[in-house]
Amino acid sequence: MGKLKLIFFALLVSLTAVAQERTITGTIMDGEIANEPLIGATVSAGVGTMRKGTVTDYDGHFTLKVSADITALTVSYMGYESKVVNLKAGTNNYTVTLMPDSKSMNEVVVTGYQNIDRRKLTAAVSRLDISDEAVGAVKNIDQALSGQIAGLSTVTASGAPGAPVKIRIRGTASINGVQEPLWVLDGIPMEGNEIPAVDNLNDIDDIYQTSIAGLSPSDIDNITVLKDAAATAIYGARAANGVIVITTKKGKEGRPVVNFSTKLTYNPKADISRLNLLNADEKVDLELDLLSSDYTYRQNKGDVAIILNDLGETAAYKAGGWDALSATAQQRINHLRTINTDWNDILFRDVFNQEYNASVSGGSERAHYYASAGYYNEQGTVIGVENNRFNVTLKTDFQINKMLKIGVSLFANQRKQSSYMTDTGGFTNPVFYSRRANPYFEPYDSEGAYNYDHNVQGRESEVPDFNIYEESLNTSKERTDRSVVAIFDAELKLHKYLKLTTQFGYQYDNYQASRYAGQNSYAMRKAKEYATYTVNGVKQTILPDGGMTKKSDSNANQWTWKAMLEWARRIQDIHDVEVMAGTEVRHTESEALTSTAYGYDNHTLTTQPVIFPSEDIARSYPLHEESHLENAFVSWFATGSYTLLYRYTLGGSIRFDGSDVFGVAKQYRYLPLYSVSGLWRAKEEKWLRRVKWLDELSLRASYGIQGNIDKNTSPYLIGTFKRYSILPGYVETVIVTETAPNPDLRWEKTRNVNVGLNLAFLHNRIRLGVDYYYRKSTDLISSRKLPLETGFASTTVNWASMQNEGWEVALNTLNVKTADFSWSTSVNLGFNTNKVLNETVAENSTYPGREGYPVGALFAYETAGVDSEGYPLFRAKDGSVQTAAEFFQLNKFGASTLTAEEQRNLYTYMGSEDPACSGGLINNFEYKNWQLGVNFIFNLGMKVRVQPSYSPTYYDRGLNTNHDILNRWTPSNTATDQPALLVNSVARGSEYTHFSEYNTYSMLDTWVKSCSYWRLQSVRLGYKLPKEWFQRLGVSSASVSLEGRNLLVLATDYHNFLDPETMGNPYAQPITKSFIFGFNLNF
Amino acid sequence: MRTKHFIFSALFGCTFAVVLSSCDSFLDITPTGRVIASTGEEYRDMLTNEYKSFSKDRYMTTIRTDELRLTGQTSSDDRDSYLDLWLWKDENPSPTTTYFSWRNYYHSIYIANYIIEHQDEIKDAAVKDVRQLVGEAYMMRAYNHFLLVNLYAEPYTHCTPATTRGVPMMLEANVNAIPPSSSVEAVYQQVLADISAAADYLNVAQWPEGKNYRFTTVSADALRARTYLYMGRWQDALTVAERVIAAHGELEDLNVATSLLPDNFKSAENIVALEQFSSNMSTVINFPSTDFINKYRTGDQRKSKYFKKATSTTYSLIKKDENSYCSFRSAEAYLTAAEAAAQLNDLPKAINLLKPLMQKRLNSSAYGTTLTLMESMTQAELLEEIYDERARELAFEGHRWYDLRRTTQPALTHTFAGETYTLTPEKYTMRFPTEAVESNPEIERW
Repeated sequence: MGKLKLIFFALLVSLTAVAQERTITGTIMDGEIANEPLIGATVSAGVGTMRKGTVTDYDGHFTLKVSADITALTVSYMGYESKVVNLKAGTNNYTVTLMPDSKSMNEVVVTGYQNIDRRKLTAAVSRLDISDEAVGAVKNIDQALSGQIAGLSTVTASGAPGAPVKIRIRGTASINGVQEPLWVLDGIPMEGNEIPAVDNLNDIDDIYQTSIAGLSPSDIDNITVLKDAAATAIYGARAANGVIVITTKKGKEGRPVVNFSTKLTYNPKADISRLNLLNADEKVDLELDLLSSDYTYRQNKGDVAIILNDLGETAAYKAGGWDALSATAQQRINHLRTINTDWNDILFRDVFNQEYNASVSGGSERAHYYASAGYYNEQGTVIGVENNRFNVTLKTDFQINKMLKIGVSLFANQRKQSSYMTDTGGFTNPVFYSRRANPYFEPYDSEGAYNYDHNVQGRESEVPDFNIYEESLNTSKERTDRSVVAIFDAELKLHKYLKLTTQFGYQYDNYQASRYAGQNSYAMRKAKEYATYTVNGVKQTILPDGGMTKKSDSNANQWTWKAMLEWARRIQDIHDVEVMAGTEVRHTESEALTSTAYGYDNHTLTTQPVIFPSEDIARSYPLHEESHLENAFVSWFATGSYTLLYRYTLGGSIRFDGSDVFGVAKQYRYLPLYSVSGLWRAKEEKWLRRVKWLDELSLRASYGIQGNIDKNTSPYLIGTFKRYSILPGYVETVIVTETAPNPDLRWEKTRNVNVGLNLAFLHNRIRLGVDYYYRKSTDLISSRKLPLETGFASTTVNWASMQNEGWEVALNTLNVKTADFSWSTSVNLGFNTNKVLNETVAENSTYPGREGYPVGALFAYETAGVDSEGYPLFRAKDGSVQTAAEFFQLNKFGASTLTAEEQRNLYTYMGSEDPACSGGLINNFEYKNWQLGVNFIFNLGMKVRVQPSYSPTYYDRGLNTNHDILNRWTPSNTATDQPALLVNSVARGSEYTHFSEYNTYSMLDTWVKSCSYWRLQSVRLGYKLPKEWFQRLGVSSASVSLEGRNLLVLATDYHNFLDPETMGNPYAQPITKSFIFGFNLNF
Repeated sequence: MRTKHFIFSALFGCTFAVVLSSCDSFLDITPTGRVIASTGEEYRDMLTNEYKSFSKDRYMTTIRTDELRLTGQTSSDDRDSYLDLWLWKDENPSPTTTYFSWRNYYHSIYIANYIIEHQDEIKDAAVKDVRQLVGEAYMMRAYNHFLLVNLYAEPYTHCTPATTRGVPMMLEANVNAIPPSSSVEAVYQQVLADISAAADYLNVAQWPEGKNYRFTTVSADALRARTYLYMGRWQDALTVAERVIAAHGELEDLNVATSLLPDNFKSAENIVALEQFSSNMSTVINFPSTDFINKYRTGDQRKSKYFKKATSTTYSLIKKDENSYCSFRSAEAYLTAAEAAAQLNDLPKAINLLKPLMQKRLNSSAYGTTLTLMESMTQAELLEEIYDERARELAFEGHRWYDLRRTTQPALTHTFAGETYTLTPEKYTMRFPTEAVESNPEIERW
């Protein structure tokens, strides 16, 4: 390009050579770096065909012949503000200093403590500007990050509305403690963003909300992700997993701007045909098959067994088979085959969702303001699931005088989520029920009354009536969150070089959860059945007639105050020194209250007392519970940086965190965390300035220490006070001690090394950022299973050290750029390899240690098909094929007689649960007023352990399952690797007991699947309406868009599962497709 | 400007200083409801919790005996929880089956060890009280090991104790320990040693009502007598049981209408009012078996005090009410002494030892006929009679299973839904819980 221009200019010069000329010479200087010439700056004069120009040489000199009537020169340079120089008569030599473009000049990185000039930035940070074009129609801010930032991986564990996204920055550094990054809102670290680990898969139903879920993405200007120690050390212990800094929108100087936007979303219902469930015909055949076999587990379950028991023909069927049945029995069973209820169709729904946002912003030199209000409502494709949010934001800042600037912002929101009540079996979860309900079961009879499904439930004999429609009508679970964040900040310029800033943030979160089970619900019937006792010789339930209501109210508040003194000085335009020191005080408090009442009538809001027959029983039905938790933290921190000639920067930071944590040994109260870092902007070196195709070349390096302490483990035996009576009528104080003490627990520490490279070529059309990191974590804290003989089930220990090593690549290219059309691509990739360096495997552990393997390592028993009786066979390490009895050396109790170590060695490494590579691919096309964005995310090369299709000893014939069971081993189907449904026998009793009592079957290699996927996260077509259309209405701009989300998944084999992301969890709601129409208006 | 500058700097500096100096008190937050025990009272509260959560397994073994039956009347819940225990289907119980505990015992042992190890650090307590507390801790450790070895290892009297696998022993509060199983002999020796240590420390002979779940000086001999009996050390059992009778020989007279049931925690007979049935079992135990009821002779007051006629042929249980708490009581000492004397072939002494008990349990005519009957018995017959008397007296108090397994190990049968299950000798010993083996495979290796 540049060359072309030169030729063109040369041509112009020769054409106009005949006119009267004067020769102008001069030097163009770099305003950014003192006494440095600007090489390659363009100097031009004239307009149209009269235009001529030149570029400066190595010393910044130029010579240009211009006609005498030319009165001004234009000097320009990429990344600098152009300047017009008026030519004075008689003066033919000019020295012009160009200042860097204000846009790039002002490019600062917001760390939450400081705003750092990008040219002095030594840390690994990524920034994402939030706009509909960039992130699409996301409901929550955590969803916006998906696939956008190299090294940040996201996992959507459930497709439920409002379900939080799990975010990991640069792999997993801590095993036990918090693994979520720290979220910071306009400088104030937020509380309440830990996502609890789902221990019981069914818990995924629990409604959960993080505090960031209250923010509307439309109020957010940009997000900065701090990744390495140089960036995060200032945040101390809480930042061990990275920091995400949210900067909200603020008003700009000028007239008030009013913005209105709406998004209307259509979600079609999920499709569960992927699950390959049995149809009515197949299920009936299976039940008939099992009834004539020796497999007796829950033999009275399934409608076939129910019909035969009803008609008293079970024995006849067992003896004589189908032909021995009466015509009535045959007819009733055959009728089942004709039903085929489409659970997919009736448990899921198509939904239409809406979102509205309005804002007004503006300001003057003295003050800026931004105010907004928003509402969004999302209904789940699962019937009964809903989530909505109202939020209001007010933000102002005032320049009181030259010295003092004050800002106030307020974020308030209310969220409400509705869901279904869950039960331990998971049947009231429509997603799970749709997998388990029999295809021949009809929820309503011919008169529209409920049919009850008696095949659900763990108990074999009489079960409470269950109908999923009745259940969703008569139970509810709701959670309302109200949250306020108020931030005050003040900046006092004490002196040219000295600035005092202080910030006070207050966060208040309240939530009220209510669960209701009506009289006519399975939940209530079950509760009543469980509460059945013999009172005065009569067996009866102690719960009164009516329903149950359980309400909990939880309040959490935190305040953070920080003060910082900053000294920044530029000396002789060569040296830049910045020093900052500060302190931070934080206090958190939370309290919760739960109240339960029975005999509840939701129309009259009346309840009835429960008469408990004994204190012991009353203890299991607590009606009122309270808790209170308070913590305080004090920290000191300092940072400093020195920059020479904007080329070399050296930085460092340090922080001490102190906390009140109870029972923590004093020597662990304060932990110093620090980092040192450097930056070399090579492009600014003289010898590189000449390389015109190169726009940026800089190298970064940092080293730092991060740390974490487990707050729940103490070197001392900590107890909790309770009041109980042991003998009736005598209440006593007891101290319950259920946490094992560990005197040896130390801080876990992570050492970080980061080396980064930023490159830009061809007038910034190709920009590349590459980062290499190495994180070594030592003394990692993890929960370890203890021998139960110690008196405790588990404790927390420093168990291991591990390393995360990886590359992050962020590549942005502007592929095509013409006047009307442009195409840009952005690729971000994160490669993380994790290795456990050493691990003290508990001597009692029968599961292998991960030393030398990734922390997400999955181990399984290698199988070798099934034997001649349908029992699983194992492949031993010597290659021989063995039965379970041989493989595990079982004793008569079905327990292995191998040592724990020998048992560990039986496992084979299968791969890691964490992706080897994850990232995103974003393409943007613009043509005139049209804009098209196509956004893929991907996670490649991981393994997942799924639940077995059926258990060979505990398959429940009353429930539906996938087609694998039809391929199980039977005497007539021996060419299969699916085991038989096992029957206890004298010869194989120990194996049978082993499979029924131990977890072995789900640990077979069969259940570890490969998982890699690409998800087409968003395709969005936007159109800016031509201004002429609405100018008269006072509208300054308007746009419409159409977006499809989750339209396509390309993945390795995930048959029998809904999504690759939720393979491991049969309770998770499917991730639904959605179509969004968006409209945006500016006045 | 310069003054202003100075003022602001001073202000800032002061704030900083205030923060620095006040932060230690700012950080001293005592959490609500949490505590690290240091005083005598707090150590007592810790032990009280172990009494509170004391295993109810001994009572639950009733399910495996001939004392009760599971019938069509048994509720579905109870059937799901207890049927496979009643049928001794230990190899593949339905997943809803209730299980015997393991960690619960060892948690009590941990706290006992903790108290023993920290006895010198206990503050604000009289020496006498600390000694009593430590004594109780030894008893806690002894009794838990005793119950474990009798639930999960072969009976002392039916194996070679020195070489037979017992249970793991925990003699220190150490969460990092990975204990192997000890031999049956070693566990019994430790139990005896702990009882002796306890006896040195204990100094409360009788706790007031409401606190009488705690171990006392008499309880050490009561447990020692039971231990000797289970070991078949007849002379020792006799000596110690007689000591218990001398110290705590009170008996409720069931011929008196106002008498309390002997297992009532308020009963004069009660030595340690600790164990009871779990409230989950309140309905399943309601069906005593007919065979068991038939063990009571005419004129036995216990038949009508313990049970009540439900139909013309069946009875229901009234013995287990909300006041039934009993681990040790006087009657057991009489029965233990009598059994030991009979084993030593001193039949008149055995009968003499039974007399006070029978006087309080039988009406006068039945007393006379029973006495005559016993006097005519051979040693074997008398032993059989004492076993039965033990069953009748201690019915539904969690003794039957242990007595069956240490004595004759009869091949009991239970019939359900037309199928008959037999209690074979190996089923008198339960396998270690799966979760225990999973978290420490060492315990299975022997």
